[in-house]
Amino acid sequence: MLQIDNLHAEIDGKPILKGLSLTVNAGEVHAIMGPNGAGKSTLGYVLGGRDAYEVTDGSVSFDGEDLLEMDAHERAAAGLFLGFQYPVEIPGVSNLQFLREALNSQRRARGQEPLSGGDFLKLARAQASALGMDAEMLKRPVNVGFSGGEKKRNEMVQMGILDPRLAVLDETDSGLDIDALRIVGDGINRIMRAPDKAVVLITHYQRLLDYVRPDFVHVLADGRIVRSGGAELAADLEREGYGAIAA
Amino acid sequence: MEAWRWADLAALEAGRATPRGEAAAIDGLWIEGDGPRLVFEDGVFRPGLSNPCEVVVEAITPETAHPLGAATAGTGWRLSLEAERAVTGVQIVHVATGGENHVPGLIELGRDAVASVVETFVGTGWTNRLTTIRLAEGARLMRSVRLLQSSGFVSIREEAEIGQAASLASLFLGAGGASSRIDGELIVTGDGGFAEMGGALLTRGEQRHECAVTVRHAALDGSSRQIWRAVAADRSVASLAARVDVVRGAQKTDGEQSLRGLLLQRTATVNLKPELEIFADDVKCAHGATVGELDARALFYLQSRGIPEGSAKAILTRAFVADAIDRIGEDAVREAFAADAEAWLAAAL
Repeated sequence: MLQIDNLHAEIDGKPILKGLSLTVNAGEVHAIMGPNGAGKSTLGYVLGGRDAYEVTDGSVSFDGEDLLEMDAHERAAAGLFLGFQYPVEIPGVSNLQFLREALNSQRRARGQEPLSGGDFLKLARAQASALGMDAEMLKRPVNVGFSGGEKKRNEMVQMGILDPRLAVLDETDSGLDIDALRIVGDGINRIMRAPDKAVVLITHYQRLLDYVRPDFVHVLADGRIVRSGGAELAADLEREGYGAIAA
Repeated sequence: MEAWRWADLAALEAGRATPRGEAAAIDGLWIEGDGPRLVFEDGVFRPGLSNPCEVVVEAITPETAHPLGAATAGTGWRLSLEAERAVTGVQIVHVATGGENHVPGLIELGRDAVASVVETFVGTGWTNRLTTIRLAEGARLMRSVRLLQSSGFVSIREEAEIGQAASLASLFLGAGGASSRIDGELIVTGDGGFAEMGGALLTRGEQRHECAVTVRHAALDGSSRQIWRAVAADRSVASLAARVDVVRGAQKTDGEQSLRGLLLQRTATVNLKPELEIFADDVKCAHGATVGELDARALFYLQSRGIPEGSAKAILTRAFVADAIDRIGEDAVREAFAADAEAWLAAAL
């Protein structure tokens, strides 16, 4: 589904990714772990299509299409979802208005009919409720005044509504307390654990992996993947630290 | 003179030099409602297109020292309401075909009277207006003005006296192609009076919008709001000078002033000049002035969810001006103004 080959990327002339390769097949959950500054968030932004990051070498294909040739909104319409480490606050734009516009933009791009107001509301309420978010929060401006945990929960509600095929989730566990972690973990499993879907879970700590069991764990250090293994690798990392494993 | 620092009188002259032509269609400009309707074409009242009801068309001699305002002397319109009367949904359409036109307006509301007036400007040429407002104790006026002239220049002067516990809200939307100058002097003369003047000015191309407003608190317990949003694209210039004066003894005044500018391109300019002059010691006057660009992080966030760049910019810009437009109390009027802003955004982004 996702094929990353020898990816090099930089920001402001500073190289961050230095030859990263990764293959993600449908039905798989991959965890990308690594120390601060390894390039984890850069990987998310490059896959999401943020302008500020420049790809200097390598290729990324998504379902056989050249992902790097697509604009950010086209990547979303193609089925990619980027979960943000720091979801952005947007005053004056309600969650509902934002998500309906997003979903219908994606549907139009795929040649589908836009969803009516009533059908959309039903979908949004169901997803909010499944993630333990008060339906009233859907009416509030996007992420404004939300706690760190509420913002992450809102990311998952968005993922549930947009129903992507590939989710790249950047530090979705940060800012969550234990209860929220379980709800978010259950959400990822419910929305994304399917034979035709895949997840790239970017995380610093192992704790989310107790709820979302990865099929593969990769260690990212200094811009490339230095080690790959099964779920047990995450436990090794937790026990021994990145220094020992990445060396 | 400081109030004229950003004035673009050359645009006014150019507007005046536009030859007269055909009048633009106005049918689509009426907002739903059965209130009085008046049409002025090149400053001349058109009875056949109007149904003025309580509004009287007559000669008015302005009592103003303002140079543009004084030039409006002649036939104009007057809405005078006795105590406790209410006339809402007054709509006045000013259609200009070129040259210059001047119309004075007068609104006098008796004790506890209520009125709402919407004015719409379309066409081209130099259009000049003075509106004089006098509100007696407890009177309430909601005035909404939309500037939709496609080219030329529109100058509007508003002078208001706001009596005890009376309330005036004057909200402007600039969403056309003409340059404009909005001048205001609102004086709160009675205790507990409320004065508001604000709005959204959207400019693009070579357009210039400027606005110089003073709210003067001359009584106790008054409150006022000046909430202005300017959005400037291309090489356009939007300038806002807003001033609050609190005279000696006008204690417990509560003034709020918020001036914000959004640059859609770096070639555009927004000038903001908030001013406070306070001669009383027990007052609250919050003020803020900021100019910026669309937040790149917010833009990417919207795009990453599937919204194309143009729509994402429109959503964020709409949210930026919403603070100002949402202050219009009547739903149909607010929706009409929002639709005009929307049309402007669709064309500019």
